Order: sequence, then C-alpha cells, then structure tokens
Amino acid sequence: MNQNRVYEYRRNFIMSLGGVAAVGVIGSGFVLQTASAAGEIAAKPADQPVTNAKRWGMLIDVTKLTDGGAAMVAACKQEHGWGDEMHSADAQKAHWSRVVKVTDKLTQNSFSLPVMCQHCEKPPCVDVCPTGASMKRADGIVQVNKHICIGCRYCMMACPYKARSFVHEPLQDQKPHSPRGMGTVESCNMCVHRIDEGRLPACVEAAPDAVIFGDLNDPNSAVSQAMKTVGGKQIRADLGLNTGVRYHGI
Amino acid sequence: MTSKLSSVFLAATLAFATLLAGCGKAPMEADLNLATAKAKSEQCVEPENVIRTKHMDLLMHKRDATVIEGIRTTQHSLKECINCHVSTTKQDGTPLHYGDKEHFCTTCHVAVGQKIDCFQCHADRPQIDQDPNYQHTVGSAAGHHFTQGVTAAAAPTVAEIKMVAQPQQGAAK
Ligand code: SF4
Ligand code: SF4
Repeated sequence: MNQNRVYEYRRNFIMSLGGVAAVGVIGSGFVLQTASAAGEIAAKPADQPVTNAKRWGMLIDVTKLTDGGAAMVAACKQEHGWGDEMHSADAQKAHWSRVVKVTDKLTQNSFSLPVMCQHCEKPPCVDVCPTGASMKRADGIVQVNKHICIGCRYCMMACPYKARSFVHEPLQDQKPHSPRGMGTVESCNMCVHRIDEGRLPACVEAAPDAVIFGDLNDPNSAVSQAMKTVGGKQIRADLGLNTGVRYHGI
Repeated sequence: MTSKLSSVFLAATLAFATLLAGCGKAPMEADLNLATAKAKSEQCVEPENVIRTKHMDLLMHKRDATVIEGIRTTQHSLKECINCHVSTTKQDGTPLHYGDKEHFCTTCHVAVGQKIDCFQCHADRPQIDQDPNYQHTVGSAAGHHFTQGVTAAAAPTVAEIKMVAQPQQGAAK
C-alpha cells in the first residue's frame, strides 16, 4: 500500500519535472519510460512493405496489473469486436486474449496474467499450416491470412499457448480494420493495423503502466532496456520458441 | 410410352423455365440506386471501365500486399471502396447490409449473378461512429483522389451537388 503511494508520488514528481508522458516502474526503484506512440513506433510510410529490421514485442509486468489483465482483454475485445458470438458454446467462443489464473499447488500462491498469441520467433502454428495462411510477417507479427485459410484448425492444435480460436458462426458488422468471419482461425495480431500507422496496440494503451511495447531488435529501445535490466520471462521457455511477448513477475 | 413421358417432361420443363424467367428478371438500371455511385465514379481511383472489368484483380492484388507486407495505401483498398460508395443505412433508416438490393456492390453482383464472399469477413458498410466524414462528397477533402493537393481540387459544380443531394429513387423494393 505505502509502497504504491511512494511510486505514485514519484510518478507525479517525474511527470511534473520533465513532462514525461508515461512512466513505468519496474523492479525496485528502476524507472522506465514506456514506448510512446510518437517516439518508438514511428509510422511506416503506407506504401512501404514491412521489413525485418524491426521485431515487435512487449514486456508485461504482471505485478502492476491489479486486475490480472482484464482491462487489456477488454480493450482487445473492443478493438477487434470478438467475444459476442451469439450461437457458439463457451468453448467455441473467440479468445484472442484471455486472463489465466495460475496457482502454485505447494504454496497456494496465485496470480493472473493475460495470455494472447506470444508471437513466437519459430511459430509452430506456421509450421503446420498446409496453405501458408498461418504466417509470420517480416517484423515478427504472427497472424492468419484469412483469405487463404481453409479452416482445418491444425494451427490451433499446434499452438502451445492455446492462443487461437475458430469462428463457428456467420458474423455481421465486423470492424472495418479487423475482418473476421466464419470458417477461419483467428488470434491476436498485435493490432497490426495500428502498428502500421505508428500507434500502440489496444491492450498496451489500456495498461500503459504495466506494458512496454517496442522493437526487440533495437538494443536501445525501452523494451530491450527493460528486459536487459529485469529480464523478461517466456511462458513455456523450455519450448525454445523465443516469444515476442515476455512477462515480468511470473 | 417413351414419347408420352418425354412430352410431359418437356411441358414441365417449359413451365418451370417460364416461371424462372418471370421471377429472375434482371433489375433494370432504373430499379437501381446508381445516382450517387455515378457521381462518384467521376472521382474514382480508376476509370469506370477499368473498375468494372478489373476491380476483382485489383482487390486481389491489394489484399495480399496489405496482409503480407503491411501496405495500407487507400488506392484499390476494399475499405475505401466501401467508405466512398456504400451508405450506412437503407432509406427507412435500418442498417444496410450486403444482402440488401441497394448495397452498392450488390446492385451489380445481383444483375450478373455473382456470389462473392468478401463480406463474410469484411465490414459491408462504413462505420460512421468512427469516421463521421466517411462518405466522400463530391470535392470533399477526405477523398483519396485529392492527395496531390486538396486545395487544388476543383470545387463541385452546382449540378454535381444537386446530383448527389437528390433523393435516391427506386431503391428498396
Ligand atoms: S503463440 Fe501460438 S499462435 Fe502465436 S505464434 Fe506462437 S504458436 Fe503461433
Ligand atoms: S486453420 Fe487456416 S491458418 Fe490454421 S492451419 Fe488450417 S489453413 Fe492454416
């Protein structure tokens, strides 16, 4: 409690000092500036293809998520319009992102974290896709090219994080920037439409104090610096997938 | 026996064909809501004849460039076709969807018997709450055709404004 007060005080102090837009505090007394839309993810010219010069990733500080990531999931729903499928059973409903609660059996210590597509560097979902629909963009974003997805759902089986879901029913009134429809698989695409415009993903915007987003290839980016300092754990690191989404405090 | 059977069959086929011809009458141009579309085709990204014959190829090329390479220019983008041409509501104020005859894309696709599946996934009308200025009026600065310089764009003539503003006839039947 008191600790949080101190942080809040520091945050206000720093903001009033330097006009820093958003400040994330990670570890004891280590202060980081989150990637701001203006600085770190500069908008790519709309007519240029993405390159592998950048690799997008994020670090989620679970200790800063008081709601376990529920606000991040809600922001994702709102942005892409999933989760309101009328005729699907609960197990069939879309889940681009979800709050997972973990409990240590021995100590009963438990915490929650938001789990979405981890944007693996070596994605198993891409390996198994028979059509090439499950794909990794040059900048590391893994997504489904729904134009050529045949709905076989191999990728859903291959993903170790259960990050993908399948649309079981006809949809209407999708968001213009996020097409989704029956018979195709979908998953978190890191808000690719926003990144291409130089905006932060919706979930990052919803939890500015807990998430740092940026370029993993650039050793000086805020996200790389934060990981250098506090480390960034992968879920199921034993699989060696080198995920783009990392966690602190798990 | 065979001939009797075949004549019955012939009669049935004929009757069925007449029935089909009756209900499958292609919509006449006068039935369709083309006034706005015609005015807008003047400022379309390609000449009208190119769009008519090649829009599917342009869209096909564009979709791969967008999904795979992240190229998000407005030229040949399905989203922009919709922003410019599709109205959000029917004349009675209810939401307009691809299945409705007045939907810009449907007006033609019905006439040529084309069944497309773009709109199983893509939004079939502009989201007016996100962009109130969604539909480019003639000469509006929002049009992608004026990216060369908005100020240089010719102001719409009185006749053009009238054409766009006139009530759309013969739409919902
Ligand atoms: S988390 Fe799953 S869906 Fe995402 S890249 Fe890895 S294997 Fe593919
Ligand atoms: S469901 Fe679609 S994306 Fe997944 S493996 Fe099959 S074709 Fe590929």
